[in-house]
Amino acid sequence: MPLGPGLANLQHIVVLMLENRSFDHMLGSLGIVNANIDGVSTGLSNPDTNGTLVQPQPNAQYQSQLQPDPDHHFPAVDLQIFGGNTSVGRQANMQGFVKSFFNQQQDVGRSHMIMYYFAQNQLPVLTTLALEFALFNRWFASIPGPTVCNRAFAHYGTSFGRVDMNPLEILAPFKSVYERLIGANPAHTAKIYYYDTTSSTLEVVNLLQNQPELFATYEQFLQDCASGNLPEYSFVEPNYNDHQADSGEQIASDQHPDHNVQAGELFIASVYNAIKQNPDLWASTALLVTYDEHGGIYDHVVPPSCTPDQFTASANDTGTGMPFAFDRLGVRLPAILVSPWIPKGTIVNRVFDHASIPATATKFFLGNYSPRSPREINADVFIEPRVDPVDPDRNLLSLTTMRTDCPDFET
Amino acid sequence: MTVIKVPHPPKGSLNPDRPASSLLLAQVVHLHEAEKNLPLRYRSERYIKSVRTEGEAASYIREVTEAIHSAHEEARRGRFAIRRKAAIAADTAGPRRKRSGTRRSAKKRNKVRGRRRG
Repeated sequence: MPLGPGLANLQHIVVLMLENRSFDHMLGSLGIVNANIDGVSTGLSNPDTNGTLVQPQPNAQYQSQLQPDPDHHFPAVDLQIFGGNTSVGRQANMQGFVKSFFNQQQDVGRSHMIMYYFAQNQLPVLTTLALEFALFNRWFASIPGPTVCNRAFAHYGTSFGRVDMNPLEILAPFKSVYERLIGANPAHTAKIYYYDTTSSTLEVVNLLQNQPELFATYEQFLQDCASGNLPEYSFVEPNYNDHQADSGEQIASDQHPDHNVQAGELFIASVYNAIKQNPDLWASTALLVTYDEHGGIYDHVVPPSCTPDQFTASANDTGTGMPFAFDRLGVRLPAILVSPWIPKGTIVNRVFDHASIPATATKFFLGNYSPRSPREINADVFIEPRVDPVDPDRNLLSLTTMRTDCPDFET
Repeated sequence: MTVIKVPHPPKGSLNPDRPASSLLLAQVVHLHEAEKNLPLRYRSERYIKSVRTEGEAASYIREVTEAIHSAHEEARRGRFAIRRKAAIAADTAGPRRKRSGTRRSAKKRNKVRGRRRG
């Protein structure tokens, strides 16, 4: 099939990565709206510590509910996925979420809240984007563990064998997607936009310390969108903490518990509006909205196995007494691709994880590139390379005429 | 075209006294690692083990992030200054004077001087 105007016109890829919310928690309500969306359904449950089966309920609140912050480090996620089974040859059953949350406060009633999800009308931005554009039914965290390692997969295509939150040591020969693009001949453009210097970036020890010129503020992102100077590849980080700035109160917008989820909705809308309000940019940009990991919150889909990375985490490093070969993915996450060239109501059932992000940007802008980690090499891409002919079953930017019915968000 | 109104968080949602999450504390640790490589004049002299609240974390994060940028900016200005100085020196050196005949060796020059004294 010929390339089509969506792919032919595509010049910018923007990735917005929020924090710590699972697919069922944020988008599970949409299973009722569209039967093709694998959301919450009857029959799902988790046992609590008394053996009572707790069902998912649309009782999630924007703030003050998931306290303390649900445990999402490797050992806790192992419990959540395998239900406490540590035997050889065990099968994942997604039955350990309530037990895991109980471990933090020993409060049975409170432990049930990990099964709560948002009703559709509570998240007007995220649910609208999910129904209007391309929703991924099978986007998973890259590892069943915490933020730093999962974000590393989004930047480098690997976490270099790490499953914890300590500073990463970047090991040759793998470069970040930014270094690949900027160092190419001819050079491409790439930037990481953090909210401001008080929020900063989570990619500190390697990229901020060594290549601060890669970074700009969210204010700059808005200016670059308005002026048409957005780089070819942009990674946007939300505000990670509540703070005062010269411009007033800055409420954290990353949606990490216990930050206000509505603030994150506003931020997603702001990014979307910034792109859409420049017609040329809107016609030539694809925006991926996703989350780094599930934050310890319930999802019902068993994570699949995957191509092992070339690294292994030792039994000591995992904290579970078992080594980890990076051969299975983490818990499922919300992920939505936005573009006016995507048919309304697109549902994608192929498997993705955060290694798909550098895989997509690298293949689209650079074509064949080496070296890359085994996980990235085998990761699926969410935007097809601009090479004729394109597979119509894989190309999400498939419309021959750009949509004029895309929603606007009034903030 | 549908216009969707997005509600704002209620007043009072801002809470810098909230206990810092494990994510923020990890970010503080990462920045502290980076801070160790900064020249002394850029270091915060903050004791990161004492960070407890989101506001305290935010304050430290801002200070070190801006210090990293400032240190790199200072180095960039220094590189520019060195290059500019070299360019100015090259411009003001003037053309090199051309010598006539061959250059005498030191030995020969001293021999000539010796005869003159005699």
